[in-house]
Amino acid sequence: MRVIVAGVGYRNLRDHSIGVEVADRLETTTWADDVVVEDLSYNPIAVVQRLEDEPPEQRFQRVVVVGAVERRGRPPGTVAAYRWDGVLPADEEIQRAVTEAVTGVIALDNTLVVTRHFGALPDEVVVVEVEPAVQEFGDTFSEVVGRQLDGVCELVRLLATRGDAVEQLPCAPLGGPTAITSTS
Amino acid sequence: MCFKNLPIEFDAQGKPYLRAGVANPYAPTTTVPRGAPAQLTAENVEQLLRRNGFIKELDFDPVTRVAGALAFHTVADFNSRKVIEARSMATLFRGYEVIMVGRDPRDAIYITSRACGVCGGVHSVTSAMAIEMAIGCVPPPLGILIRNIALALEFLYDHPLHLHLLAGPDYSAAMVGPTNPSLLARARSAEAPHAEVHGFRTIGELMDDLNPLSGKLYLEALHMTRIAREAYVLICGKYPHPQTIVPGGMSSTITLSVMNEMFTRLAQFFDYSKKLTAIWDDLTDFFYTANPAYKQVGSRRAHMIDSGIFDHHEAYDATYANAAAWGERRWATPGVIVDGELVTTDLHRLNIGVEEFVEHSYYEEWSGNGQRQRFPSDPAGHPLSPYHPWNKVTKPRPQGQNWKEKYTWDTAPRWDRQSMEAGAYARLWNTAVARKLPANPFIESTGTSLKLRLPKGALPEMEIEWKVPAVWNAFERNRGRAYCTAFTALVALNNWMAAMDRLRLGDTRTSTPFEIPKRGEQLGVGFWGAGRGYLTHHLVLDRGAVANYQIVTPSTWNASPTDRWRQPGPYEEAVLNTPLLEETNDPQRFKGIDILRAIRSFDPCMPCTTHIHSDAGVITREVNTCACGIDEDGA
Repeated sequence: MRVIVAGVGYRNLRDHSIGVEVADRLETTTWADDVVVEDLSYNPIAVVQRLEDEPPEQRFQRVVVVGAVERRGRPPGTVAAYRWDGVLPADEEIQRAVTEAVTGVIALDNTLVVTRHFGALPDEVVVVEVEPAVQEFGDTFSEVVGRQLDGVCELVRLLATRGDAVEQLPCAPLGGPTAITSTS
Repeated sequence: MCFKNLPIEFDAQGKPYLRAGVANPYAPTTTVPRGAPAQLTAENVEQLLRRNGFIKELDFDPVTRVAGALAFHTVADFNSRKVIEARSMATLFRGYEVIMVGRDPRDAIYITSRACGVCGGVHSVTSAMAIEMAIGCVPPPLGILIRNIALALEFLYDHPLHLHLLAGPDYSAAMVGPTNPSLLARARSAEAPHAEVHGFRTIGELMDDLNPLSGKLYLEALHMTRIAREAYVLICGKYPHPQTIVPGGMSSTITLSVMNEMFTRLAQFFDYSKKLTAIWDDLTDFFYTANPAYKQVGSRRAHMIDSGIFDHHEAYDATYANAAAWGERRWATPGVIVDGELVTTDLHRLNIGVEEFVEHSYYEEWSGNGQRQRFPSDPAGHPLSPYHPWNKVTKPRPQGQNWKEKYTWDTAPRWDRQSMEAGAYARLWNTAVARKLPANPFIESTGTSLKLRLPKGALPEMEIEWKVPAVWNAFERNRGRAYCTAFTALVALNNWMAAMDRLRLGDTRTSTPFEIPKRGEQLGVGFWGAGRGYLTHHLVLDRGAVANYQIVTPSTWNASPTDRWRQPGPYEEAVLNTPLLEETNDPQRFKGIDILRAIRSFDPCMPCTTHIHSDAGVITREVNTCACGIDEDGA
């Protein structure tokens, strides 16, 4: 099974850089040939085109996406992992996501919505979200998010390589339940 | 006469000076714009709303399908189907000008690029040019040529994106059907005059393929953005924030292979441009014929400003002293158009006429109260206003929205105290009328039009002609942008050919070494353009560090608020002139499509528009000032 591990976020934006940082760290480690690690922190339309560039017989069958996302009611530092149910919002929302995509906004939800809408994602999409504490310029994480970094890297590695681990995750909408959740 | 409002006159050599005997020439009470439209006062509008049930408020927050955060407030008279008040609100608080203060000027190339997620390259180049002027560094010919090509490619990303992803859906079956069913019915049987070029037999079919998300034109535009992006990264390293722009040229290595790779992508825009112009000609003519009132949608005075772009590689010397000369040799002529007449192509005159006002913006005044005006004249000795960007100090002051007071993060730039519009079409208009184009086989400036000869591709070679329009409105903005795609592709082709000539001569040098002076004070300005038009960066260097940095973007002009003389900004003026042609009076079903067409025709880009200051020199927070609650705070 070909798997792509994708970090999504901005560089130098403290907690919002965790997706990029995880991708950077994992990219330098050893993987089996069928796992690719990339920073997909760019225009989601270009991400669609990147994923579609794979030859049909080599298209990715699982995507593990990692990044910081602000969700209501979740303490900073929370790590949530789930299989995305792939349900898209209304067309108007998808249009908004495309507008943001082509005008330079990089966000995990947008990337997933746009790539799903244009058929670039495989059925198996695993999302690993981290609730950020701060959004400001800087190259360090807040304490609560920084504490999670090693664990997130381990979790992503597990989900990229172990189908049985993925199967244990709940299937949920974007931002959905927190089956593997940690705030410690 | 160049200036009608500011008391600036010219001596026999054409050098500007302030008219004698005017005690305080730039005081708002001394120099008042004449003949400009004026917004109703907030009190007038309040009274009208109280007394008439058919007058209603319509708020668009956010305006969707635009880049960044724009909200728009209108008050409409549903009996006469007119807009009686229009307020444009940049709702996002961002910051570049003061982030730059105290930094090494080279940082500007990378930091200001982040002002926009579409056109980062234009900011990088404009800042590089401001630095070049300040430190006296001239790029070699190949550096200038490659820079031109890079930016042309950026526009070839930008124009299709706007035409078929952002503005295009306003003319799609999915939008026209619900708002104007009789118009869509008519479109179904209206033959498209240019079917042999674009492939759509009827206007209805064309509208179907403008549908968002699924229409073929929408999807094709997404694909074309990839082609432009691929060509761009060959010379810029990455998109949208290039890594190869430097003061004194480009750091890219240019080889025959790079040039060929680039050409195979550029060439795809020749046919695409034929198709785009045919589509927007047919759409525009259909709407005009179906209902001539569409000519009023988004209409305003043809008041435009453009700083010009694409330097001639044998003319540009990076000096302010010669800016008027090298400016006029650009592939897109700089200029100012007032009421449809070109009044100057001289970058000095353009520059000294620019002022920025903050009467209705969330900033404090920096002029008056006895403060010293830092630069009473430009480096050539021409008079400068205390409100000129070189004299401006950015002093943000967040507060509640109030139409009498402040309601936007955008400032109000004015030229000769008039509300000017920027856009790709201003680039065409100046170039068509000025007749100063470099000699070339593909583009001809006739004085009233631009003839564009597009090479053969899958479609035959074709000459298309953009004519200065008789009316100025939303449709002409879109049509102009379609023609500007062809113009841009041909500018790129001319520069590509010239670059190949340089390579044949063995000239591969793309940049000039430079040093940042560590002593004294230097001024620079980058006169360039974004896909959306006018772009300037004004720089003051002091002992090697940035002492002041001011950016004026096309959307700073276009989204500007009403000024201290009640003169509306361009979006506001265009919306005030827009008739409500939607086929419903039911507020529940009313979409405000004509108002949205008017606004979107400008290709709003709000991330570039607003720039903040914080005492620490870094962004410490972002404030999104929502348009809700206007009633409570407003007058």
